[in-house]
Amino acid sequence: MQSPARHTWLTLVMAYLAAALILAFLSHSLPRMLPGDFVTAMYGSSDVTLDAQQEAELRAYFQDDSGFAGFLGRLLRLDWGYSYTFLAPVSTLFFDALPWTLVLMGTAHLLSSLLGFVLGVEAAWRRGTRTEKAGVGIMTVLEGIPELCSGALLLLVFALHLGWFPAAGAQTAYADHTFVQQTADRLHHLALPLTTLILAYFPGNFLLARAGMVMVMKSPFVLTARAKGLPPVRVRYAHAARNALLPLVTRFGLRFAFMITGALVVETIFSYPGLGTLLFNAIAMRDLPLIQGIVLAASVMVLGVNLALEYVYTLLDPRVAHAS
Amino acid sequence: MSVFDKIEEQLRKRFRSRPPRPGIARRGLVIMGASAFLLLMGGTGMLFPAESGKVWANETDIRIADSKGDWGYPTPFRHYPRGPGYIRMSWAFDTLVWKDQTGFVPALARNWAYNPEKLAFTFHLDPAAVWHDGTPVTAHDVAFTIAYFQAHPYRWISTDALDRAEAVDDHTVIIYLSRPYAPFLSDIGGTMPVIPKHVWQKITDPRACIEPECMIGSGPYVFKDFDKTRGTYLFEAFEDYYQGTPKKHRLIYVRTSKALMSLITGQVDLAGIQPDMAAPLKKKGLTVIENERGWNKKMMINHTKAPFNDRNFRQALAYAIDQQEIIDKSHRGFGMPASYGLLSIDHEMYNPDTPRYPHNPEKARQIIASLGWTPGQDGVFHKDGHPLAIELIASNLTVAGDSVSDRDGEIIARQLTDIGIQVTLTNQEQTTTDSRVKNWDFDLAVSGHGGISGDPKILNEMISSTYGAGSVNSARYDVCPELNALMAAQMKEMDPEKRKQLVFGIQAVYAREMPAISLYYPKAMAAYNKAKGINWFYTKGGISKGIPIPQNKLSLVR
Repeated sequence: MQSPARHTWLTLVMAYLAAALILAFLSHSLPRMLPGDFVTAMYGSSDVTLDAQQEAELRAYFQDDSGFAGFLGRLLRLDWGYSYTFLAPVSTLFFDALPWTLVLMGTAHLLSSLLGFVLGVEAAWRRGTRTEKAGVGIMTVLEGIPELCSGALLLLVFALHLGWFPAAGAQTAYADHTFVQQTADRLHHLALPLTTLILAYFPGNFLLARAGMVMVMKSPFVLTARAKGLPPVRVRYAHAARNALLPLVTRFGLRFAFMITGALVVETIFSYPGLGTLLFNAIAMRDLPLIQGIVLAASVMVLGVNLALEYVYTLLDPRVAHAS
Repeated sequence: MSVFDKIEEQLRKRFRSRPPRPGIARRGLVIMGASAFLLLMGGTGMLFPAESGKVWANETDIRIADSKGDWGYPTPFRHYPRGPGYIRMSWAFDTLVWKDQTGFVPALARNWAYNPEKLAFTFHLDPAAVWHDGTPVTAHDVAFTIAYFQAHPYRWISTDALDRAEAVDDHTVIIYLSRPYAPFLSDIGGTMPVIPKHVWQKITDPRACIEPECMIGSGPYVFKDFDKTRGTYLFEAFEDYYQGTPKKHRLIYVRTSKALMSLITGQVDLAGIQPDMAAPLKKKGLTVIENERGWNKKMMINHTKAPFNDRNFRQALAYAIDQQEIIDKSHRGFGMPASYGLLSIDHEMYNPDTPRYPHNPEKARQIIASLGWTPGQDGVFHKDGHPLAIELIASNLTVAGDSVSDRDGEIIARQLTDIGIQVTLTNQEQTTTDSRVKNWDFDLAVSGHGGISGDPKILNEMISSTYGAGSVNSARYDVCPELNALMAAQMKEMDPEKRKQLVFGIQAVYAREMPAISLYYPKAMAAYNKAKGINWFYTKGGISKGIPIPQNKLSLVR
């Protein structure tokens, strides 16, 4: 006889598999609804003027009539398809771009979450003080500044006027660098886009952590902890903050899942390589196999992160497990 | 002991001698945060101090900016069908002839001659020319190239008018035409990359080949690397290049959407710029160059449906549009009104007597009224109870590889509204607009293209579906027999002076028929770092078929 816990996990995984199937269908059918096709995008306003016959030949060459079943079949064989634009396997293109996105977005999420959590908790602890009020005010303003704006300002100050940082790219192309120099060069290029993202994500994390903490601090168990004479740091982090962590973890997961689309603006401003740029160009060129591949991978990532969060929740707060 | 216990212990020790102060942890955190930020911002900056765009400013390198980055592998079959793609290939592959600031100059062919009786061009090749692998370039390679492109079309050229090519000896090749073909020198001579027979005779699927052997050309630079993700290219100088070793050892393309900043910080040495940037860049010591007028913004008209199928109505639209106002308000004056005959006013075959339509809203109204429309109380023309309502589509166009946004649609919409047309302005992404234009699912659309200072074949491609059915910029206007006859004639007129008269005629009739309205020529500029010792220039008539980009390989050779 199956244990209830195992049964619950099985149901969960089945639900996620069903969701993955629906997402696969959507990632296959939605890009096909885009007006225009690859041949028009690539050749329509190019320097090559096709006659009617040449156009028909190309259209026949770049046509995928295999339907959803064929697409699913290929997916199961781990065949992501072949990009029209790059004439290369979609999976190669995806995994070439992924590390850059992970470095930029992953670091930004991690740093802004940690920073937001710690400062949010500290702010809530000092509720009512001038520092806390100023902090909340500043963060609310920062939260309203879009990446487009903060990125441009950072470029203006640190690249154009001070000349401290390069204006574009992820590393100096084809520089004759040692490993250490190359690492420093990559960090050098990463600084401005990363700061832009931290400025975008950190205020939200701060406000969320602070709000969660303010609620928790009203709880009787915090009063008990204080009454026991525990040191303030222990009361703050071991007793209160842990219980205020759940919304932040949810936000972290959701943000992480949206990292492909989230990266586009910053990638564009700083000409930083990554999945956002790849997807953007794929859509502009109506490169259906590439769009499908990236959209599906992004959707699966959302599912994966959600599934992971289900587990993390129970670790952080055992009451979640009992709730089901 | 848990982590929290440790922290607690540490803090107890730290504050043992004095009572805890509430601000201390906050201050600590602020200092920690600030330190982390400064470490990130300043730390890497210290490694590469302020004045040192020098990190990448290697004297033997030339770095060129590109906002898109990826233009495909630089082989004839893999580069993208736009100017920047062709340019990348042109570093590695030479053509029979080339162009500089003055016009056609020798390349692989030292000289050439046309024999009208035999309908044949004879090319004498430079005996010093070798492929990147050291094999000599011969007439057999040229003959093979033509045969190969006849079997595997290279879409930048048309081999329809070619019969065959014969290698008379190792360095003399005769190309026979099946019919007179006026654009031969531009199309076959100056655009067709010559490919090595010993490599390509083994390749049956040219589109699939990205092996190093498929990159072997006879151009001044050898292809070394292309990074799709980062959009970077690396070429290295070909020491044995027959026109002399290139001046710089490495040629690198860098993806950057901030040309101005990349130029100022020394990250790149050459970039296309917006005209507003010219003054600050000159102050910084950079050299700014300006192109001839080789690109035009134009308004596509759906002449297959009423009321646009009436030539008078299309002329009324031309009178309603104030070209100069668009330039002044949308482009801060950086541009020039275009000729209504499509060909650039800088073209040697430009017809100065092309019909003009000076801005005249009153005349536009009169013409529309003469077509049976009557002005309603709201100022909008009506006919049979229906208002004269149209949709105008605008989108950000890609000009010489860069996507440019402007307010053209907004201004044209207002100008048309002023004469009594009810206009709905729709801003759409370029491919969507292209698709709608292609399928005749539009009324008016703002569009644009280059090539108008290159070979006048562009007139045929941008006017008639016989030559340009696949182009969204082609008016596909086939209903005027006079125009059709002139276009057919100019394609086979081998005498330049006689061809000029035919081209004059095409411009005049096109401007009269008005199947699309040329609006203006935007100013096209580039800036470069003169300290690198390279004098970049814009090519007369554009590179190859008319590419308005100042990356002519002769800049790095001569």
